[in-house]
Amino acid sequence: MIRLSNFQVYSMLLIFSLAVAFLQVGKFAIDLLFNNAYLAVLATAVPGILIIFMLNHILKKSTLPFPFILGEHLGEKVGKVIGFLYILIFLLLTSFSLRLFVDFIETNVLPQTPISIFLGLLLLCGYIAIKTGLENFARMCEIIVILGVGFSFSIVFLGFFQNIDIKNLLPFAYMNWTSFMRAVFMLSTEILKLATILFLGFFIPDKNDALKIMIKVLFTYIILITAITVAAILIFGGTTASLFTFPTFAVVRIINIADFLTNLDAIFIGLWIIGIFGTSTFLWFMFCITTQYVFNLRDYRFIAAPSSLIIAVLAIKMASNILEINILIIYIIPFLLSIFFFLIPFLLFLITLFKPYPELDQENCKNINF
Amino acid sequence: MRYISKKNSSAALTPHDFIDDKVSFSVRENSEKLKKILESCSDAVFREFTFGTNDEHKALVLYFDGLTDRKEIEENILKPLLLEIGMVNKPEIKILNTSGVFSRIKNRILAAAEVKTLNTLGEIVHHISSGDTVLLINGCDKALSAGTRSWQSRAIQTPENEVVIFGPKEGFCETLRFNTALLRRRIKTGNFKIEAMVLGRLTKTDVVLCYIKGVAPDSLVAEVKQRLNKIDIDGVLDSAILEEFIVNEKNTIFSQVEHTEKPDRVAANLLEGRIAVLVDGSPMALILPVSFPQFWLSPEDYYDNYIPASLFRFLRFAAFWISLLLPSLYVAVITYHQEMIPTALYLTIAATRQGVPFPAFVEAVLLEITFELLREAGLRLPRAVGPAVSIVGALIIGDAAVRAGLVSTPMVVIVAATGIASFVTPAYNAGIINRIARFGFLFASSVLGFLGIMIGLILMLTRMASLSSFGLPYLSPLAPFNREQMTDVIVRRPWYKNITRPFIEGMKNQRRQNPPDKDKGGSK
Repeated sequence: MIRLSNFQVYSMLLIFSLAVAFLQVGKFAIDLLFNNAYLAVLATAVPGILIIFMLNHILKKSTLPFPFILGEHLGEKVGKVIGFLYILIFLLLTSFSLRLFVDFIETNVLPQTPISIFLGLLLLCGYIAIKTGLENFARMCEIIVILGVGFSFSIVFLGFFQNIDIKNLLPFAYMNWTSFMRAVFMLSTEILKLATILFLGFFIPDKNDALKIMIKVLFTYIILITAITVAAILIFGGTTASLFTFPTFAVVRIINIADFLTNLDAIFIGLWIIGIFGTSTFLWFMFCITTQYVFNLRDYRFIAAPSSLIIAVLAIKMASNILEINILIIYIIPFLLSIFFFLIPFLLFLITLFKPYPELDQENCKNINF
Repeated sequence: MRYISKKNSSAALTPHDFIDDKVSFSVRENSEKLKKILESCSDAVFREFTFGTNDEHKALVLYFDGLTDRKEIEENILKPLLLEIGMVNKPEIKILNTSGVFSRIKNRILAAAEVKTLNTLGEIVHHISSGDTVLLINGCDKALSAGTRSWQSRAIQTPENEVVIFGPKEGFCETLRFNTALLRRRIKTGNFKIEAMVLGRLTKTDVVLCYIKGVAPDSLVAEVKQRLNKIDIDGVLDSAILEEFIVNEKNTIFSQVEHTEKPDRVAANLLEGRIAVLVDGSPMALILPVSFPQFWLSPEDYYDNYIPASLFRFLRFAAFWISLLLPSLYVAVITYHQEMIPTALYLTIAATRQGVPFPAFVEAVLLEITFELLREAGLRLPRAVGPAVSIVGALIIGDAAVRAGLVSTPMVVIVAATGIASFVTPAYNAGIINRIARFGFLFASSVLGFLGIMIGLILMLTRMASLSSFGLPYLSPLAPFNREQMTDVIVRRPWYKNITRPFIEGMKNQRRQNPPDKDKGGSK
């Protein structure tokens, strides 16, 4: 049976929810709320905590990890049908996260390099990680988090030492409340990714620690996104920051250390690659594991090779230009996340409300071959 | 009967037919068989003689010249049998009849410190090959082996590959017993176990497994023993040969055991619950299990004040990254990310690169290969000329290459800095990992810049995360993250805070010392 430490689960959840969000989520909030964007990030704590308690309740009332949890609460047949939908969603999200990254690289870092090269390399890394198993991937996630979070905080810290203007934060809380609610919704969709605790939570030594882990992830997320959003507003001002495609990236670009080290974006991108690798590989893992459940397969590893081709083709074909990618980012992905990472878990939450606490607890997991 | 049936066709017999035979009652028969086995062994000495008050007992002393101490043979074996029995007229010696002669000689007459009873000719050959002297007595179907080992060997010296400023300077030599004595001298407890085994069908090499019972996990000891016992090879000439047999993952550049010549380093690892494997004829001990961060820790850290030791450790980690990535970062910056460096610096570099016919990648590879060639040449050449050749080679080739416009000056500086940083690595085998991986990163950076370097790092991390050394994850305590142990990896934790040992799966006794008594102000 797989054994994961609390820190490993924290790392995996953080990478999954933060890697993409760090670059793009601040932008959503700034677009809608300008200089008050950070208030929406802070307000995300409220839906975040509600989501966490919901997930924790499901976790406590279940004996099997996701995707087996679907069969446990919804019945075997319904569970398999919904599991099949999850396969498609994980496939789409894996391709989307890769596409988002390669588009970013192609437009900002290495123009005129075919995206198939980036896709191929990232898929190769992901494939090797899946082949070596979840425990090894969890170890990698630990290192990614130690490096990535450290570097992200360093960027924010250095950002505060550039030419900042505190007045850019004013007027305080003068905003359109509808936009505020929309921003909170957009930011919360990233937190919905914590739903993967329904899979990971079964492999930690004590399932009751899942709540603490999720709360730590939520607060790391909020602190980091708030800090980078505030840094962007302080440096550029709300209106100017909203004009950037990636305000976080703009903050990195403006960092100047002792008039010697400038344009640190290449280093930032280098580390961001690891984060994206973590996110896409984790989604790919989930795809393979859900496929194993739905089709009653003995192992999930062999699915990695053939599915890499589907992921690559889907990533290339899912959008023909950056506008279509934006439509995916703003409308389609949040919608899908709301259904599959909120509505279905909410349904499970309602069902488990009327169920007693299980007696067997984690014993059942030992029979599942991951 | 088996022998009798063979005797008729003695012409067809080979030494292999005798090797498992039991010792015969007849000295002559034993002698003939042993001579057949040791045919063409000019260093084998067969000394036949008679002893007893009336010279009634025939005997044979057998040993290999050069492996034994002749004086000890004369004083402790031959002299008591030849002279003293004949001279003294004691009643108990007179009862040296055939039935009691063997036990009398073993218990009363032989003055050697170590005496063993042997039953087969194979055992006799093994013992004399190890430097013992064997005594065969007519009428006895057993032989006696006396410990007379003594041969010319290298004295205990300072290990050349692990030079330290502070701490013990002595290193292992090629004689196993000296090496185990160096360890025993440091760990004076009955729980320090040295389990012996013989490996190699032809070499019959003595191998010992050292561990502290109660500290090293029993499961780990059993696992290592099992893996060693599975080895079936004709010869074990060095401890490094064993490494490839016992590690979990064979097809990798990442070493999963630690090699050291320093007994204090081995002792420190034994105290942390690890196991050491020592091989006769090899000055290198294998320490296992090991994790990658351990390669960057020097034993010297623990003999120095913890604050400078921690700073040196930082320096060593920096050197690790420099030796791994500096040339590839330079190539990435020069080729793809020129905007990262200040304009003035870039212009200087561009000016020196003017006229260089190669791209930065080719330039770096050429210089790196030249550097590796010089390094290897410096190692293989005689000591008197080696350093001179490498220094002159580096100066002349470097200078000539720059003057000829084949390489740029900054690239020479980069490669030299990388070379110097690579020598900072305390463990030689970890340095090799860097040397190999560096070329991979160079290639990756030349193709995709920083992106390529990061892809390379991801692949390297994936591989390292998948490795384990006897159940210990290769990246521990970084991954799986262990805060307690990480404090003694990133910095050197003060001794008084080293309460626990690093965790190894199955370890029962993790406590090293009692926590300092706060009421008494701690054990400062």
